[in-house]
Order: sequence, then C-alpha cells, then structure tokens
Amino acid sequence: MKNQVVWRCLVAVGVCLPFVGAQHAAPLPFATQGPALTPHDSALHTLNRLAYGPRPGDVPRVAAEGVMRWIDRQLSPDGIDDDRLAQRERQFDILKYDRGDLAALYAEAQRERRERKLAAAETAQDSDSVGAQHAAPLRKQADPMIPKSNRLGSEFAELAVARATLSERQLYEVMVDFWTNHFNVYAAKGADRFLTPDYIEHTIRPRALGKFEDLLIATAKSPAMLFYLDNWESVAPGSVPPAALRVRARPIFGRRPGLFGPGRDPARQDSVRRRALERTPKGINENYARELLELHTLGVDGGYTQQDVIDVARIFTGWSIERPQQGGDFEFHDWAHDRGEKQVLGVWFEGGHDMDEAIRLLKLLANHPATMHHVSRKLCQRFVNDDPPDGCVDDAVAAWKRSSGDMREVLRAILHGPDFWAAANVRAKVKTPLEFVVSAARAVAAEPDTSPRLAQVVARLGEPLFLHVAPDGYPEREAAWVNSGALLDRMNAAVALASGKLPGVTVELDSIVPVGDADQLIGAVNEKILGGTMSENTKRVLRRELAGISDLTQARALAVGLAIGGPEFQRQ
Amino acid sequence: MTISRRVFVKSGGVALFSLGLDPLFLARAAFAVRPSAGPSDRRVLVCLFQRGAVDGLNMIVPHGDPIYYQERPRIAVPEKDVLDLDGYFGLHPRLAALKPLWDAKNLAAIHAIGSPDATRSHFDAQDYMESGTPGVKATADGWLNRYCQHDREHQDTPFRAVAFGPQLPRILAGTAPSLAIDDLQAFGLRAPQSAARDRLTRAFEELYAGSATGLLSTSSREAFDAVQMLKRLDPGQYRPANGADYPRGKLGKALLEIAQLIRADVGLQVAFADVTGWDTHVNQGATEGQLAGRLSEMGDALAAFTRDVGDRMRDVVVLTMSEFGRTVRENGNSGTDHGHATAMLVLGGPVKGGRVLGKWPGLDPAQRFEGRDVAVTTDFRDLFAELLARHLGARDLSAVFPGFVANSQRFPGAIRG
Repeated sequence: MKNQVVWRCLVAVGVCLPFVGAQHAAPLPFATQGPALTPHDSALHTLNRLAYGPRPGDVPRVAAEGVMRWIDRQLSPDGIDDDRLAQRERQFDILKYDRGDLAALYAEAQRERRERKLAAAETAQDSDSVGAQHAAPLRKQADPMIPKSNRLGSEFAELAVARATLSERQLYEVMVDFWTNHFNVYAAKGADRFLTPDYIEHTIRPRALGKFEDLLIATAKSPAMLFYLDNWESVAPGSVPPAALRVRARPIFGRRPGLFGPGRDPARQDSVRRRALERTPKGINENYARELLELHTLGVDGGYTQQDVIDVARIFTGWSIERPQQGGDFEFHDWAHDRGEKQVLGVWFEGGHDMDEAIRLLKLLANHPATMHHVSRKLCQRFVNDDPPDGCVDDAVAAWKRSSGDMREVLRAILHGPDFWAAANVRAKVKTPLEFVVSAARAVAAEPDTSPRLAQVVARLGEPLFLHVAPDGYPEREAAWVNSGALLDRMNAAVALASGKLPGVTVELDSIVPVGDADQLIGAVNEKILGGTMSENTKRVLRRELAGISDLTQARALAVGLAIGGPEFQRQ
Repeated sequence: MTISRRVFVKSGGVALFSLGLDPLFLARAAFAVRPSAGPSDRRVLVCLFQRGAVDGLNMIVPHGDPIYYQERPRIAVPEKDVLDLDGYFGLHPRLAALKPLWDAKNLAAIHAIGSPDATRSHFDAQDYMESGTPGVKATADGWLNRYCQHDREHQDTPFRAVAFGPQLPRILAGTAPSLAIDDLQAFGLRAPQSAARDRLTRAFEELYAGSATGLLSTSSREAFDAVQMLKRLDPGQYRPANGADYPRGKLGKALLEIAQLIRADVGLQVAFADVTGWDTHVNQGATEGQLAGRLSEMGDALAAFTRDVGDRMRDVVVLTMSEFGRTVRENGNSGTDHGHATAMLVLGGPVKGGRVLGKWPGLDPAQRFEGRDVAVTTDFRDLFAELLARHLGARDLSAVFPGFVANSQRFPGAIRG
C-alpha cells in the first residue's frame, strides 16, 4: 500500500514537473526541490483544506506525523478512532428517530397547528403561510410552542456542525459536505422535512468516500431526492394506477392543511374528490432528469439535448415513493413506467424494460467522460482553487478512469498532485460560512452541544444547512460569500464566540491563549489561532487596542475576537 | 388613517377607492412626470428577481385566447376572476393591489420577453439574465455592476448599488462597489455601548485596511463606509409613510428597507432583491393556491412600497424579472414545466404604463417555441437597455451588454420618452 502511494507521488511529480516547474513539487522528502512548503506550512495548508482548520496543537502534531501519512489515514476513515464524536452524537435525539417516526411527528405537529388555527378562528392567508415558509426557519427555535419536529430539524443542522467540529475523520466530514451540496435537497420542501435526515445518514454518509456510481444510484433511489425533484410523481402519459377506482383524498405536502379537513358538506366532499382525481399524476416530469444530467453527472456543457432530458425522464417514470407522507421507502411503480424505446446520448434503450433501464442509464452516466470531468473539476475547486487548474482536473480524471470512480483514489490524485501544493494555491481560497464557523470553533477548541447555536451562526452568514432551495447546492467560489454585509457578520460572530456569548458553545481559552500582557497575548494568538500568519499590521492594531484594557480576560477575548474576525482567518 | 392589510386584500384593493382614498402616490405621481426626460442623479432602479421562473401566463393572463383555457384545464385562471387590462390580457386576481397603478398608467407589463438562449436550466438562465450575456458563461461580472462601472458619477456613496439579502447576487458582482445588506438595522458591528461599538469598528476597519487582499479588501472598505453612513441614518426609527403596510416575509422587508434608503436620500441608485418560490412544477393552483400566494405577497409588497415612497416614486422604476417562463400546457401534476418566454412588470412614475408591451406571438402550437412554450419576441436586454438609457441615463450600452447592439428602435417603450 505504502509503496503504491510513493509510486503514485513519483509519477505525479514526474509527469507534472516539465509543465509546472520545480517550485510546484509536492512536499515529499525526495521531491522537495525549490522553495517547497515547510513541514509546518504544509501541515497548516493540509488542515485548512482537508479538515475544517486546525485545533490547538494540530499543526505540530500533523507536521510530526508527516503530512502525507496523515492524508493517507484520512483517506481510510474507518481506521481512525472517533469515540469522542460518537459520545457527542448520542446526545442528539434526532438520530434516534427513523424517517417514519419523523413523518409521524410532523403529521402530529401539522394537526396541532391546524387545530390551533381553528381554535383561533383565523383564516390563514396563503401569502402569510407561504411567506413564513420562506422566511428563515432556523430563527424560531427559542419558542417553547415550536413542536418537537421543528426542534429536531434544527438539531440536525447543529449535528452537522458538531460533526465537522469534533470528528477526527475530518476529510470524511468535508466530503460529506461536498456531496450534500452536489446532491442537494431542500429540507423545507414538504416531505423533505422528514426525509432529509435519513437521506444524509443513510444515502450520503455511508458512500462519501466510496464509488461515485454507488452514490449516484443511491441518491436516485432516495425518497428525499425523488420528492425534491418531483420524480415520484412522474408517470408515463395515460398510465392509470391500479387503485384508481378507490378514489380517496390523498394528502399532498406543502398544501394548505384546511383542504383536507373533515368535510360534512357533500358539495365540499365532491370538490375534494374532484381535486384528488385532478392530482393523480398524468404525465412525465422532467425536473429530476434535467438536474441529473446538468448537475449530478455530465455538467451543463456535457453535450446533452432537450430530447435527451425527455428520454431520461421517460426512463425514470415509475421511480416513486411508497406513501411519502408516512416516510415510506423507494418503490417502483410498474404501472407508471413508460415501456417504449428511448435514446440518451446516442445510446439506444430498447422497449419493454422496467426499472433496470434506469440503473443501466445511471451506470452509463456515472462513467461518462463528461461526468468524470465535471465532478473532478468541482473537487479541484473545493480542494485547490476556485479556478481549478487543468492539470489537477486531468490527474483526477485519470485516477477516476483507473479506479472506476473510487473517490479515495480521485482525492489521492488531487492531493498528491503538484497543484495542491503550489505556493500560489496556499491561502488562495476564502472560507465558506460553514468553514469559517467550524474552523473558528476548532481554533478555540469549542465544544458545541445540541442547541442549534453554531448552525444559526452559519445560517446568518448566508449558508443555512440543508436549506439551499436550488439543486445546485451552495457555491464554492469566494465571490458568492465575500460581501460587505457578510464580512461584518463574520466579525460579529468572531467577537461573540471569543467572549463566550454563544450559549451552548463552551469555550475554554485558558489552555490555548493564557491571559498575559499584550505581547504575550499577540504571540499566543498568532501561533495558536492564526498558525503564524498574523501580519505586522494586525500585530500593530492589536497592540494598540489592547493597550487601553486593564481587565486581562476582556483583553484576551478582544484579541481572539479580532484575530478570528480579521482578514488572515478568512482565508484557507 | 390606516387600512388594515386584511381589508385591503379581501376586497382586492378596490376598498381603497370605495373608502374614498386615493393611494397617495397615484394622486401625485400621475401628474408628476418630470418635464425633462434627461437622467437625474435622483433616479432609482429597483430590480426584483423572481427566481424559479414565474409562469407569465398566469401572472399576466391571456384570457382572451381560448387556447389558454384548452391547455390548462386545471390551472387556468377562470375568466370571471381575471382582472381585465385591455380586453385580451388581464392581471391575476391576487395582483389586485397593482390594478390602481395600472389604471393610473404607472404600471406596464412586457409579455413574451426572455432570453435568446434556449436553455431551460434555472441556473444557466438566471446566470445569463444576471451576467447580461446569454449563451456566454465566462462573463465574470453582472450587468448592473457593469452599468455602475461605466457611469461613475455616483461613486461618493456606498449605497449606490445595494442588494437586499445575505449574499451579493451575480447581477451586482464586479469591480464597482456594491453592498449586500441582509438587515439594515443590524448592519455593522454589535457592542453593548456605542463607544465600544465605535472602537470595535475602528479596530476591524484598520485590520482589513492594512492586511486584506483581493475581494476581502474591497468588500471590507465598502462595509465600513456604509456603517458610517447608517450610523447617521438610524434605521431603527423608521416608520413607513402614508400608512403603507408591508406584508410579512423577506420581500416586504426588503422593499421596506429600499424605501427607507430612497427616502433618506443616501444616493441609492440601483437596488436588487430576490423573490423565491416560482418553480411551480406541482399543484400550481389557479385563482387560489401556490402561485396565487406568491403573487399576492408580491403585489401587496409592491403596493405598500409605492405608498411608502410616495411622491419620490416619480424618480423610481421597479422592474420584475424571471429567468424564463413555463410551458403553455399544464403538466401531469397540475403544474407547469420549464418554458421559454415570460412576462415582466415595470412600474413607477417614469413608466409609460397602462399597456401590455411587446409583440405577442400567440399561443397556437405553430407559433410556440419548440411547439410547447411562449416564443420570445423581446430580448430581455432590449428592456434592460431601455431602463438604463432612458431612466438612468446610461450612455454607452455596449460596455454594459457586450456583444449586443442596443437599438432604441427595439426598446419596448416602457419609459416615457
């Protein structure tokens, strides 16, 4: 195994040197020609990109272990002990419920809300209810009237932050976030309110460092995705469900609750029946098919046509959910499937097939050159540079081909390639809100509990987790995140965190930055929190600001707050 | 006297007149057309992006065409509910709050408008509409920002171009300074006392001035300029004028804050906000339902905005835009899928309103784009270019819309000439 790694490094360096020059060599003992990164700097760079930033002591620890050895361990997360996180996870109630339980909780909460509304004799206005749904749902948890289902929803966002903060399997958690965005679902759309936790736990997480094909097929079959992109209601035109004669009102999510209330009025019952009939799906829905090609696999320039989209949608007719309102599982509806012949990207799908042809299509897409390029490019963007170098993408694609899309090998190729280590790419990326908040929490060794504080901060900075409406997921480029308002919010969050004003987040600064005079404080903050990157200007400003403060604890909080909110800490 | 929102909505806006009250803005703005058509440094353009592709056919309804009803048995707005505009087109009934603006000729609609690019991808189409370069993905900045780069005379204020939301949208991305403000009141650094707040502000300002590079540097500079101005403005004390009652939700809040900046005369020239929730693939609804709820919120928010801004509306134009329209025929889920052309609204004092503009291609399958969608007869750049040239006074449109030859002959005629 080790030999294999060394061999790959040599190949990567050897192949790339003629093009990029010696200064881009990877920091391996035998390849360090030119001004390569020092062990300290390469450990810091690695922890900034493959992890959510260093915790106190991480940089010297990783430098001592050897950064390539640390990367190798991160690529096999099962071998990394993660007991501390496992203990913390046990405090999160959300993990004790399966999607059926959650569905029942939501149904209960909906019923209670309906009854409260009736009791208040209030007519709900559409604009209000829709508007409320679109207003940031994370802001309301403090209210004791908020049902358990909502509390569990925000707890799930905090769980994601806690895992990113506490896990020893850092690269794995980074990849979970990457795939969560690549295969985005919107957790505030109808049944996805209770399908999303199951999706992350059982679809994304088990496959985050596996084969792309397996992950793609798993997302295609997941109730959360089928619901989010409407495929569960996509049927061959003219197809009739076997139970069509048993006409009953079928609750549809995201509808106003009043529509399905007990109707004594026969005219009303007629209208309910008529609406139920009207709601029986009557044709194909292209939504999933289009995003599958554009976002999940080929990419927007992947060379497909509108006719391809239609035929992909036809191939996926009948891919549905068994009782989504009860949190049911994937179900293939034979009656809804279009058994005609189709053609996608010039490949012929003969007639008479059922759900097997979609599996065939997914395998075709997963191993298509355009998919390899599109997904590899996104990985290079995540790990190397917002504008990924072609060489990085080429290395990743080559590894993808060799390994049939094993993500560990693709990552290995990127992380052993010269671009990852190039000086021009070090600190070249700005942290996303999630990366900023988690790296700040890690820098001060914060211990988040199950209260949703840190997730709320991430949301306020513009990235409410699992709540990106559009299927493209949160953007990776700095232009999407760096603006004046968001920067001020980051400064505020830093000051609040450093002064212990985020309830539910325990910060113990004594062991990291002991109280002391200004020079001691500045030295400790620079070394422990900024990894030695503090500029002369920052030192000067800190020295001046600290001069007027007699309370040592206050001075320390200010120094840490200014450092985390300052410009050096925004980069990774 | 204030009118509760409920009365206003329930009676579809007509209550205003039956109570003997003219919306103040109408009473004035209808006669307040500027004598000179020249650009003014007080002129404001407010852009609302209906993300998700609004169904133009149910917003500005072609109720005079039987094909509309044939193609949409479950989701067409019934003839009896449509608020007729010109005998052929009508407003969705839940946009009733905008009807008085139409009657006062301060509201125009442009139908069959869209992109020359045929993509039905939200992301591509939004990208093109914001970059202003349909079909070209590599454009780095947005067209509103390029306008600001090109007309530099408003540079003395950090509030010249403001996006209301947590992130700066693509349309305002670029080298010209622009702000993203999620909440006017909370904008700036927080500290218990104002002395501490000032001190913290100064410290961070110097940290960034001395050490930040690239985008971090420009964005932080804009941030601290804006903090200084807002400190003088005191937005916490703001009360909407003329009894304007904004609906709850993000849009109402964004428009309230835009109105506040307009009335405070801080130099706001370009404002932008998102309105989400238009991607109605499933159970779109007709007179009531999902789309109706979104339209109702938008109509009420715009009506409140015009009341609040009052006679300053003579300098303000609001534009609604959306990346594309939706299929003429309803789909199997009582919704509509991604289409091509849609409708946009333009309202305000400078608008030559009371008309549905643009060449209507018709709904007949033979006249449709690819047999399924409303065809595009007006390139969205023709409308955007007209607003920049005739409303804001832009001179060099080729820099704003590279690769596009703006021609006033093709302007839809939304602005009084």
